[in-house]
Amino acid sequence: MQSVLLSWFGNLPPLAVPYALASLGLIISERSGVLSLGAEGLMLVGALSGVAAYLSFGGYPLAALGFAMVTAAIVSLLFGVLVVLLRVNQVIAGLALVFFCQGLTNLVGTIADWSNHTVAGLQGWALYQLSELPIVGRLLFTQDIVVYLTIPIFLGVAYFLNRTNAGLRLRSVGESPEAADAAGLNIYLYRFAAVAAGSALVGLAGGYLSLGVAKIWMAGMTGGRGWIAVALVIFARWHPWRALFGALLFGGIEALIPQISAAGIRVPQYFMLMTPYLATLAVMLWQGIRGQIGSDEPAALGQPYVREERT
Amino acid sequence: MPDRYAVLPPLWAPRFFSVVAPALPHLILEVRSDMPAWKQAVIISCSIVIGLFVSAVILIGSGVPTADLIGEFAASVFDVRGFHAVLVQAAPLILVGVAASIGFRARFWNLGLEGQMVWGGIAATAVSIHEIGPEQLRLPFMALAAMLAGMGWVAIPTLFKLKFSVNEIIATLLLNYVATYFLYDLLYGSWKDPSDAYPHSAQYAAAERLPDIGFVNVGLPLALFFALIVWWLAELSRFGFYLKFIYANPAMARFVGVPIRSAVLAAVLISGALAALAGFVISSGSTGRLTQGFFEGYGFSGVLIAFLARNNAAAAAIVAILVAMLFVTGQSFQIFYQIPFSMVQMIQAIIVMCVAASEFFVRHRIRIQRRG
Amino acid sequence: MAAALELSGIRKSFGDFLALDNAELRVEYGEVHALLGENGAGKSSLMNVAAGLYSPDSGLISIAGAACRFSGPREAMQHGIGMIHQSFKLVKRFSVTENIHLANPRGPYHSGRKAILREISDKTRALGFGLDPYRRIDSLSIAEQQRVEIIKVLVAGAHILILDEPTAVLTEGESQRLLSMVREIAERGAAVVLVTHKLRDVKTFAHRVTVMRSGKTITTLDAQKATAEVLTMLTVGSTIIAPSRSAKPAGELRLAVSGLASRTIEGHTPLVNATFSVRSGEIYGIAGVGGNGQTELAAALVGGRLPNAGAIEIKQPGKEEMMDVTHATPRQRRDHGMAAVPADRQAFGLASSLSIVDNFAIGFMHQGRFGSPARIDRTSMGLATKEAVADFDVQGVRSLWQRAGLLSGGNAQKLILAREFSRAPSIIVAHSPTRGLDVRACAAVQERLLAARDRGAAVVLISEDLDEVLSISDRIGVMTRGRIVAEFDAPADRLAVGRAMVDHA
Repeated sequence: MQSVLLSWFGNLPPLAVPYALASLGLIISERSGVLSLGAEGLMLVGALSGVAAYLSFGGYPLAALGFAMVTAAIVSLLFGVLVVLLRVNQVIAGLALVFFCQGLTNLVGTIADWSNHTVAGLQGWALYQLSELPIVGRLLFTQDIVVYLTIPIFLGVAYFLNRTNAGLRLRSVGESPEAADAAGLNIYLYRFAAVAAGSALVGLAGGYLSLGVAKIWMAGMTGGRGWIAVALVIFARWHPWRALFGALLFGGIEALIPQISAAGIRVPQYFMLMTPYLATLAVMLWQGIRGQIGSDEPAALGQPYVREERT
Repeated sequence: MPDRYAVLPPLWAPRFFSVVAPALPHLILEVRSDMPAWKQAVIISCSIVIGLFVSAVILIGSGVPTADLIGEFAASVFDVRGFHAVLVQAAPLILVGVAASIGFRARFWNLGLEGQMVWGGIAATAVSIHEIGPEQLRLPFMALAAMLAGMGWVAIPTLFKLKFSVNEIIATLLLNYVATYFLYDLLYGSWKDPSDAYPHSAQYAAAERLPDIGFVNVGLPLALFFALIVWWLAELSRFGFYLKFIYANPAMARFVGVPIRSAVLAAVLISGALAALAGFVISSGSTGRLTQGFFEGYGFSGVLIAFLARNNAAAAAIVAILVAMLFVTGQSFQIFYQIPFSMVQMIQAIIVMCVAASEFFVRHRIRIQRRG
Repeated sequence: MAAALELSGIRKSFGDFLALDNAELRVEYGEVHALLGENGAGKSSLMNVAAGLYSPDSGLISIAGAACRFSGPREAMQHGIGMIHQSFKLVKRFSVTENIHLANPRGPYHSGRKAILREISDKTRALGFGLDPYRRIDSLSIAEQQRVEIIKVLVAGAHILILDEPTAVLTEGESQRLLSMVREIAERGAAVVLVTHKLRDVKTFAHRVTVMRSGKTITTLDAQKATAEVLTMLTVGSTIIAPSRSAKPAGELRLAVSGLASRTIEGHTPLVNATFSVRSGEIYGIAGVGGNGQTELAAALVGGRLPNAGAIEIKQPGKEEMMDVTHATPRQRRDHGMAAVPADRQAFGLASSLSIVDNFAIGFMHQGRFGSPARIDRTSMGLATKEAVADFDVQGVRSLWQRAGLLSGGNAQKLILAREFSRAPSIIVAHSPTRGLDVRACAAVQERLLAARDRGAAVVLISEDLDEVLSISDRIGVMTRGRIVAEFDAPADRLAVGRAMVDHA
């Protein structure tokens, strides 16, 4: 029993990180007022480009992750043009982005033969001396670098949003673009930047999934995690730390699945695989019952901004 | 009410550029008040062509020879076998397109079409396996069971939305995964055909397969029949009139006494039923058994069809046939050039993005005003 | 000395519609200059040009004698223009400091914030009021939010202030305080433009007044010397005979509201305890400044939002008993003879993308007037709409099948009235029915309300326009802080009513 628990907690952080980083990226975009449904697609882009860079440029995982972030940000610019400049309905554009990315990554992955190659990917870093600690050492201090960096990234983004001029302006664009415009801010610039920056984080989440967790690229490997991240952001009411909590929760559920059969409990395989999705639905339902849906939502989320002139 | 203006602020600091290039033109957007339907149709057609062109470029870049590209697409229309394949493919596409459109009319993003198809297939197969009903009525029972299953499955996220404001985009999508895993559980488990190693159910009896009419099975006329019904409901019935208001301004609809909850529920249940029926049509008409991935690609196709058809059921039927051509072409690319079938999805997404972008030009006119 | 702000020859059209036709304005430093005109006269448009929100088709803007051209509000701000709009440009979830800091960057975040706090307290002390800089905007009253806007603009260094209909949302007392503050600001050297349609404000606080009508500047006068009659004549262009009420005995009880209470909508005062009754053939006017529970009361009466406590009972003509409709749906209320005119036309009155015929027919569809559930009858819909449009004088209808959104404000309201009143309802709830309408349209709407009343309807008129309430109501209830605090019979004493509005504030 104890080994099951230890195994569970040890596997939890790597599985939580994609959810955490993806939802943090979505929070950045959505705080500027742009509804980002494309996470599932951008994660795939990050996953594929991470593996692609790793395989093509000599196997440097960190550089490959950087490449994943950049590629995802570039693809997100397409979404930005559609949604910020051309004022396309953000739901349609998000859906189109997801399916575009799914198709494109599948196509490119097959043609360039990047699929189904296992990679060594990211290795764990035993943190000097801390990893020697009895139980905690093995659990917490032999993770890979991205896990270690997740908390500082969260700290950085939270600080940026709440304690800098740029963060204040970004939030104002999402809450009240009329006020931001009247204050002389360039709404388009802030939204583009937020979409690109947020998508870079989503790309990082995808890259980590392929290079750090699964250590392989397969078509469609995100398996709905992007959608769960979207739900997580609503659950977190657009606050970074709540999103981290949610990510730990879902990472925990995902980490639990193999442990259940390892512990000898017999549950039908496919029903277990359903659990993350059912859990997400349960969380959303619970929020809805408590009437919390939509509270703290950036007031201008999903609405393209037009400096309307009325008569 | 006159046109409304909005000024596009340049993306760079105006102060800098007004020193360097004081005469840089300003882009001024005008919102058009109305645009004649034919002009809109032209713009949409152009954007579809652009989308196809972009997709062709990507495909050629992936190694498909240019001549073959056009050849394969043409084969789906002019070759008899290709034409037959298109018509067979069109039936479930018409159904999901119409299903998506009636849901969207009620402002409900039914992205769970694939999950509803799965349940349609499951319910029909259950009727077949348990031999419910006399043989002559087996098919109608299967169809009915499928529709009921689809309605039941979509009722869950609908009630979640109506009562608890849960976002249906995510709810319906997540339920797709749940439905798929349930399907796998059946196909790898209790419903697995013992006669071979594949994860599919036992073959349907002859009475459980859709009969042929001419050179297609009865699925196509069935789909067209339902498309007509939905068209009638949306355009000519009182229910459709209510949906118009729910779509245009839900707050006003409530104020004026439109029965929103029942109208939305009815629309979405119809949507689920038709999507499930599509699952039945594929299982009973094409594959003859319940298989693993029969529903793949239909979810987004439904959304695309409804989007291009502007949620009009009659137009959806026509667009579905075009998408069927795309599917058939995609299948042959898969066989002959090893291009994964998801390229079809990618092409659809590109077309959606082009058409959505073109709406900007339908709604706005751009003028250039000289500064300074 | 050069004028603070000078606009000359300004032309601006939106498609076919000419909003500004050679408009002019000249404002000096140190004065409060009123810009007077009715709704649609072009005063807001002219000020939007001055503030850089609209770019004029032609014309000249000069500030302190130097010609300028603005590409956006930012440039106008840099030239010293600060505009306070009717809808405040504030981020509701942010605090006062964050809002003012957003509009006035002062270097790195933390030191900038401290600098802003200092500037806020300097300015508020100089003007003589207190403001807690840490409070969120949505926790402040409208009057307080307006003051935040003014401070924001002063911190930005504005020396030309433009206030667009500032007293529309204030009580008499708050208006007085605001306008004296504004006069103080002018006396310290700034130029202030006061856009308004209220003669009283012009006479009391302005030095000079410019009258606009139909996009043109008519004339500029000394505000103190000009008489109210002259100003009205210039503003309206002709005499309008305001509809008058003929005394009529009221009939039986139609509507009884008791102890109604409900939660707040959007941070306003909640409905605490509303009790009143209305009889057939009378107009019960509810007077009060906006934000005192009127929206909540209207929503409860109409069925948009269910109350937490209390009851609404109605009695239909011909029935013996009162019926409780407190928890009835809007549909059920309509079936029982209630009709409603919403305050926000765009949001609740019409579906602008649908046709005029559709917007009319939806009011009767459910009773089966236009075909069966299986098939609606477009022909009869068209005919009935044509009749109604003629009957209610809806103008600007090129085709009955055109989008309803193309109608102007006044005509849109007439269409809504056509839909609601042709059913001969026995109870009517009208919430700010003349908001945003020009004088002619106002008179038309008021006439319709009186006609309905004469036919026996019981009318509840909730309006922030005290003059309107006084002129057409038979009985008046004053609403403050979610309660009906006083009732008066017509003809009511304006001062007494005004006092009731304030005393309990």
